[in-house]
Amino acid sequence: MPVFKLCLKILRKNVPSLAIYIFVFIGVAVIMTFSSVNEQAGTLAFTRSKTNIAFLTEENTPLVAGLKAELAKVANFVELPDEKEALQDALYFRNVSYILRVPKGFTEKFMQGEQVRLEKTTVPDSYSSAYLDLSIDQYLNLARLYLLHLENPTQEALAKHVADALAAEAEVKLLPGGAAPDMQLSANLYFNYLAYSLLSVIILGMSVLMLSYHNKDLQRRNACSPLSAASFNRQFGLAILTFTGLVWLLFIILCLLFNSKNIQSPSTVFFILNSLAFAVCSAGLSFLIGNLVTNAKAIPAICNVVTLGQSFISGVFVPAELLGDTVLKIAGFTPAYWFVAANNHLAGLQQFTRATLQPVFNGMLMQIGFALAFFALALVAAKKRRLE
Amino acid sequence: MVVRIKNLVKRYGDLLALDHLSFSVNDGEIFGLLGPNGSGKTTAINCLLSLLEYDKGEIEIFGQPMAPDAYHIKREIGIVMQNVAVYNELTVRENIDYFCGLYVPDKKSRKELVDEAIDFVGLADFADFYPQKLSGGLLRRLNIACGIAHKPKLIIMDEPTVAVDPQSRNKILEGILALNRQGATVIYTSHYMEEVERICTRILIIDKGKPIATGTKEELKAMITMEEKITVETQQLTPEQLARLRALPHILSAEYQNGLLVVKSGRGGHNLETVLSFIRKEKIQCGKIYSELPTLNDVFLEITGKHLRD
Amino acid sequence: MFAHIFSYRLKCLLHDRETIFWTLLFPLLLAVFFQLALRNIDKNEIFQVIDLAVVDNAAYRNDQFLRQALAEASTGDDRLFNVTLTTAEQAEQLLQTNAVDGYIVVAEEPTLFVSRSGIAQNISKSFLDIYLQTAAAAGDILQQNPARVAELFRDLAGRRHYLAEVSGTAAEPDTVLNYFYTLIAMACLYGGFLGMREITDIEANISPLAARINVSPVHKLKAFLASLCAALLIHLAEIFILLLFLRFVLQVAFGDKSFYVVLTTILGSVAGVSFGAFVSALAKKAENIKIAILLGVTMTGSFLAGMMYHNMKYIVSRHFPLLSCLNPVNLLTDAFYSLYYYDTFTRYALNMGMLCIFIIIFCTGTYLIIRRRKYASL
Repeated sequence: MPVFKLCLKILRKNVPSLAIYIFVFIGVAVIMTFSSVNEQAGTLAFTRSKTNIAFLTEENTPLVAGLKAELAKVANFVELPDEKEALQDALYFRNVSYILRVPKGFTEKFMQGEQVRLEKTTVPDSYSSAYLDLSIDQYLNLARLYLLHLENPTQEALAKHVADALAAEAEVKLLPGGAAPDMQLSANLYFNYLAYSLLSVIILGMSVLMLSYHNKDLQRRNACSPLSAASFNRQFGLAILTFTGLVWLLFIILCLLFNSKNIQSPSTVFFILNSLAFAVCSAGLSFLIGNLVTNAKAIPAICNVVTLGQSFISGVFVPAELLGDTVLKIAGFTPAYWFVAANNHLAGLQQFTRATLQPVFNGMLMQIGFALAFFALALVAAKKRRLE
Repeated sequence: MVVRIKNLVKRYGDLLALDHLSFSVNDGEIFGLLGPNGSGKTTAINCLLSLLEYDKGEIEIFGQPMAPDAYHIKREIGIVMQNVAVYNELTVRENIDYFCGLYVPDKKSRKELVDEAIDFVGLADFADFYPQKLSGGLLRRLNIACGIAHKPKLIIMDEPTVAVDPQSRNKILEGILALNRQGATVIYTSHYMEEVERICTRILIIDKGKPIATGTKEELKAMITMEEKITVETQQLTPEQLARLRALPHILSAEYQNGLLVVKSGRGGHNLETVLSFIRKEKIQCGKIYSELPTLNDVFLEITGKHLRD
Repeated sequence: MFAHIFSYRLKCLLHDRETIFWTLLFPLLLAVFFQLALRNIDKNEIFQVIDLAVVDNAAYRNDQFLRQALAEASTGDDRLFNVTLTTAEQAEQLLQTNAVDGYIVVAEEPTLFVSRSGIAQNISKSFLDIYLQTAAAAGDILQQNPARVAELFRDLAGRRHYLAEVSGTAAEPDTVLNYFYTLIAMACLYGGFLGMREITDIEANISPLAARINVSPVHKLKAFLASLCAALLIHLAEIFILLLFLRFVLQVAFGDKSFYVVLTTILGSVAGVSFGAFVSALAKKAENIKIAILLGVTMTGSFLAGMMYHNMKYIVSRHFPLLSCLNPVNLLTDAFYSLYYYDTFTRYALNMGMLCIFIIIFCTGTYLIIRRRKYASL
């Protein structure tokens, strides 16, 4: 198995560069998982964490006080000077994500039933700001309701009534069984980020290997040897799979280390299986790229497009719920989409039966299909190049 | 004196690459630097060009000390390196024009020089080719053209004929002679003694970074004791006959192996006649007989005990 | 001499069409992908309709308000929910198999059953919260004033919006822009590969071509600079094409200080190319390591500037402010954003200042390393 051994030697010789890639991309995946979990756990858990807002009011009325008191349940008030630059800076650095301003005369106009508006300046991306919008609107709509239907209510009375009404809250039951939501979330996210990190490391690692073989004279020498093309490809493919396997193992070990308390969950097994399918697919894709692209300088660029581009449209960095249908359809042509979809489905499962796991298996099958296609195309490309 | 090197010492870690090497090159000479692989020829050249740091020694070119920023000296030097150094992205003509342009800023005069250089190396038919499309020999010719287009006063060539076909090799050697006739001093390093013998006016033989012998061809050959080597094809030579042969005057050595009798005889003349009369007297039947004059290899062999081409 | 080297270098670089093609194309492709993925990130609208099951029990059938509210929320093209009426067991089954995002059981009050806490589930809860609060208020009012039922319903239906978005600056805070700005910054740093090649071709211990240059009478640094300018020109052209593509094809906003945007781009390009040259001069012969360092730094920098996960930018600036100053990708991204967002130039000047310091460090470092010198070995 001379080709295989040589590949391993080349890889071993390049351990410093490979180490840099692995370190950077695993680091990215891990840090992103932690940060995302913290953020999503904060905004999306049913026990919500509070948003930082600046509450600037040009008048102090009981109505406004009542609004502020209600908002205190969902927001942290940050004291800011009412100066343009200070406010700009606060939003810029996300010290606050929401600035609410009560203009002078608001309360009076409101009590007269006019359609007045509060001014808000927000960072329009997070759910917190949407949720705040909802809370503010709800408060004022209820206040208006009471205003219209009570006899000359005072502001204090309004405030009290609204506060009482707002005490109502829907009960949510999280079904038992399965892993705790936090763990599901972090495993889900980590494996999703794998779509970016694992693929990047594999493609870059592969490029190191392929470039040693792309020397034209070397290729001619190899072509003259009694080694058949099939055997050459077999051994090469094996080397790629070995490298992929090792990197994949590294990612999985890290995941288990960070998530040690949740290893028992059955979903972990399927996350790992799904990621294995993706790893094989990545190996195929990188083999294909290595055979199509001869120019060393182009590889980083192509790697970037393939990994980042795929990840963005498949729901790795932007949650799938926010991608439009067309985008998802396009993403369906990439293996990352199926990988991520399977992960997301898996994260929500409480029961693990044949039926419930079907979408996961489908996802894995699609990835294997992609992998076979990539390997086949790679062999065609290699043959074509050999004949040049 | 165009080049003067005194006591050049260069170490690579523990390895002593140049061991107090000294030599000088006179104006108008073709100076040959001859030595086996690893003897320090390229190292010496690189030190001469101020590309390489050296531990000790003085180097003067055109009477002035050589340094990395001695541009006035560099302007008059042309180099042809061992490795082909051309841009794959430029055509033959563009390559020559580019490198010539580093020495000759004026565009008009440069054009003439470039055309001349292309003709000189015989690449007129390939002027618009890219280097990838050229064979090894043609590439070497391009390499040379890039180094001499600006008509330098001192040309340094480091093994320019490695892996070159005989036709190109011939052309290259002829070209060097032509350049020399036009007034350039040439330093030529090689391990091919036939080339060095053919074109060099003065030769320095080095081994392991040390100068072994220097002088013209004739002076070098005169250094050794052997004057002639006579080879006789014969199947019947007895040890006693061999011993008697060895006893003859002016016979330095006689070896008989695989049907070949090799006799080395020293100065004194009539060596072939001595051997022939001996064979006649002993009535030894023989096939071919030929006589050779000593080569530089013999010089090297005698001084160092090794062959040049080991 | 400068023009001679410059023009030939340009010819050389342009000859390598494949590299130019890919280095030009990849940021454009990525921009398209970003655009596809990020279109909706600002809008907070959900494009996936939420699947809910409701247990069809007596309590539900009696609660006409809830039914009406759910009916309203599940009709129309931009509806919030798809509501299915089921039995209790069916509902549980549907949830276990992820066929619905949650189900509602009405007892005294409606309860939401979910299996996870994702976006869909949170929205469902908010919907129920609002429903319950409004119902409480309505009930309260009706208790006091039972006669005005009709008006009450009319007013319930006429829900108002009480908020107006006001921007305190020249432009609105915009998250999507950050992604595109990091893309430009990353593309600028990719110029490092060009810078790397320049060093390879001028350092005699790396390539025989460089040896030729070193022996010529041309001042090494002048030759290097001329060559570098050619590389810079090509890189600038690529970045500008990216800039134009972003601005006019993808309609990415840059504010109206066009001159400064161009200036930032030029400095970014210089920073990227000089960074590559610096790394290459330091690492000498180890080709693969050089590429790994360049890629590693660029991707880490892009990550920390918020390219993959935009909150990263703020996490870094809040907890590791020094790091955000030391990250050239972040400096560039911030510079673009400051031009867009702020009216004044303070922030912009700070970022550009830091970037210039980096450029000076890279250039000086490279200069010191490649100054005309002899090599220990070739």
